[in-house]
Amino acid sequence: MPELHLKSQPQSSPAVFPPPGSGTGKPLSVTDLRKTYGGVTAVDTVSMEIAGGEFVTFLGSSGSGKTTTLMMIAGFCEPDSGSIVVGGRDVTRLAPQKRGLGFVFQQYLLFPHMTVWENVAFPLQLRGVPKAELRRRVGETLEIAGLSAMARRRPRELSGGQQQRVALCRALVYRPPVILMDEPLGALDKKLRDQLQTEIKRIQQELGLTVIYVTHDQEEALVLSDRIAVMRDGRIDQFDTPRELFERPRTPFVADFLGAANFLPGTVQQRTPEQTLVRLDTGGLLTARPQAGAEGAKVRAAVQPGRLRLCTPGDGFCTGTVETVTYVGTLVRVTVRPAGGADTGVVRLELPAGEAPVLGEQVSLTAHPDDVSVFAVEGGG
Amino acid sequence: MAGSLLAPAPPAPGAATPAAGTGRLHRLRRALSERRTRFGLLNAAPVVVYLLVLFVYPIFSTLLLSLKGEEGGWTLHWYADALQGSNLEVLFTTLRISAETSLLSLVIGFLLAAAVSRLKPLWAGLVMIIVIVPHFISALVRTYGWIILLGERGVVNNALTDLKVPGAPFQMLYNEIGVVIGTTSVMLPYTVLLLYAVMRGIDRRLPAAAASMGAGRLTIFRRVYLPMVAPGLVNAGILCFILCLGYYLTPALMGGPKQTMVASLISEQVMKQNQWNGAAALGIILLLLTFGGLLLLRLIKAVSEAAKNRGIS
Repeated sequence: MPELHLKSQPQSSPAVFPPPGSGTGKPLSVTDLRKTYGGVTAVDTVSMEIAGGEFVTFLGSSGSGKTTTLMMIAGFCEPDSGSIVVGGRDVTRLAPQKRGLGFVFQQYLLFPHMTVWENVAFPLQLRGVPKAELRRRVGETLEIAGLSAMARRRPRELSGGQQQRVALCRALVYRPPVILMDEPLGALDKKLRDQLQTEIKRIQQELGLTVIYVTHDQEEALVLSDRIAVMRDGRIDQFDTPRELFERPRTPFVADFLGAANFLPGTVQQRTPEQTLVRLDTGGLLTARPQAGAEGAKVRAAVQPGRLRLCTPGDGFCTGTVETVTYVGTLVRVTVRPAGGADTGVVRLELPAGEAPVLGEQVSLTAHPDDVSVFAVEGGG
Repeated sequence: MAGSLLAPAPPAPGAATPAAGTGRLHRLRRALSERRTRFGLLNAAPVVVYLLVLFVYPIFSTLLLSLKGEEGGWTLHWYADALQGSNLEVLFTTLRISAETSLLSLVIGFLLAAAVSRLKPLWAGLVMIIVIVPHFISALVRTYGWIILLGERGVVNNALTDLKVPGAPFQMLYNEIGVVIGTTSVMLPYTVLLLYAVMRGIDRRLPAAAASMGAGRLTIFRRVYLPMVAPGLVNAGILCFILCLGYYLTPALMGGPKQTMVASLISEQVMKQNQWNGAAALGIILLLLTFGGLLLLRLIKAVSEAAKNRGIS
C-alpha cells in the first residue's frame, strides 16, 4: 500500500521540515551515473557533490544529458549504474514519491481541479501535517511568492508566470532537501523570464534552498547559479562558479558556449612561470597567463569578445580592418579581419559605444594576459 | 438605419402585454426591424416548423391523450392507474435495471477507456473503432447474437460446462442477468466515448508531478485522477440511465416477465389492449423521469461546485 507508506512518513522521520542544510551528509551526492538508450550513451559517468543552500545549474544544449541526469535524480528514469545519495540516504532505486525531493516542471503541471491554495496544500496533506500548521505554512509560502491574493483562483485563471510561481510554492512548501527544476522558465517570454529569475533567486536565498536547475540558456545560468555544470555529450565538461567558467574555461567548448570566445590558432613560442607566449598564425605575438602546453605545440588561444581592446598600432597582437560595426544599446559589436599571415576568419569584439571604430579603419587589438586561455589542438590538426 | 427605425415593426408575439414593460417591447421591436434579425428568423423557420410538427405537436397530443377520460372530459385516472399495482412495479423494475446497467457500463467503460487512453493514438483509434462498430449493426441482430451466446447450449455455457465450473450451465437468458448484459453492451459505446474524451484531456504528466511531491499510486488515483474524470463519470452515468429508461428491444427479447420495462408495457397496452390513454400516461411519466435525470445532473454539478468553493474558505 503506497498510501500507507506515505502516511507513515512523518512519524518515521521526526523532522518534517528540517532546517535547510541540516542533517547528516550533503544534501545530494551523485557518483558515476550512467544511462544508455538503445546503445546511445545519454549520460556518462556523471559525479558531483552539492552543498546545502547551493544553487547548481546543469547547462548544456539539447542532447547533452542534462535533463536525463535530472530525471535520474528525481527518480523518473533509472540509471544503468552509479548511485544517488540524498542526505546520506541511497535513493538510486527508489520510486520518485519515496525520495522526498521537490520538482518544478517546465509545463507547470498544476492540478487543474484544485485552487492555488489546494495545489500548494496538497504535498502537506500527503504528509499528514496538522490543519493549523498546514494553513500557516501554505499562507506563508504564498506570501513569499506574492500569490496571497490568488489563493482561491484556479490554475487556468492565472498567467503562465503566476502558474509557475504556484508550481514553485508547491515544490518548496514541504521543504524538500533538494528542489529540482527542469527549464522552469522555458515556456515564458523574455521579460517575464528575467523577472522570475530574480524572484527564484530571491526566494532561494531567503529560504536557503538547495536547487538543481536545468537550462540551455547560459545567461540564465550565469544570473542564477552558485555553480554551473557545463554538460556535453553526457559528460560534465566543467563544474565551477560562473566566474571561473567565464575567466578560466577548461575546455574550448566551455569557452565557446559561455563566452562565445574568439579562437586564434597559433604555436606556443615560450613558456615561463609568469606567462605563455603564443605566436599566432596571423603573425602577431599574444601573451597569455601561464598554462600547460609544450613549447612548439599547436594551440588555439581563446579570448572573449568583451575582453578585447583597441590599442595604438604596433602594441597589439594583431592588426586588421574593421569589417562591421553594430550598435547594441550601450555596446557596439565589431568584427575585424586580421591582416597578414593565414586567413583565420574574423575576430569579434564588444566595445563601449564611445570607443566605436569606423568601418574600414585599420585597428590593432590587445588583451590582458589573464583573459587569454590556451587550448592544445586535439589530434594535431 | 433611420429609415428602418421608422418602418412599422411586425407584432411581437408574447410581448404584447403592457405589463411586460415598454423598454423590453421597444428593444424587441427594434431587433425585429433589423435586416439581420429578419434574415435569421427566415433561416430558422424550417427548423421551427420541423420541430413543431414532429416534436412539439406529438408530445402535446400525447399529453392531451393521457389526460382524456374514456367518456370525454379531463381526468388523472390514467396516471393513477400507471402508478399502482403491477404498473408501479414495472416502473420500479425500469429504474432498477437502468441503474444496474448504468453502473455496470460505467465500471466497464471506465476500465476500457482508461486502458485505451494509455495506448498510442493509432492503437487507441483501432480499439475505439472496435468499440463503436457494433453500434452500426441493428440492435435486433446484436440482441439475437447475445441470445445465441448466452443460451443454455450457447457458447458461453458450453465453455463453462467443459471447464467443469460448478453450477454450469447457468441461466443467463430471460432473467435480469440477461437483460443487464444485453443493455450494457448497447450502452457501452456511449460511456466509453464520453470517458475516453475526458481521459484524453488529462495531462499524462500530472500523476508524475503528484509522485514527485510524495503521492503514492492510490493517492494519485483518488486525489488527482478520479476528481478530474468525475464530471465525465457523472455525465456518462446519467446519459446511460436516461437512454436505458426508454429502451425497448433488448429487455423485451432477453428478459422474462419479471423484467418488463416501461417501454414494453407501453407497447403491450397499445398493441394488445388498444389502450392508448394509459400508454400515453406512461410515456409522459417516462419523459418526466428523463427530465428528472437531467435535473439531477445539474444539481450534482451545482452541489459539487458549491462544495469546492466552501472548501477554500
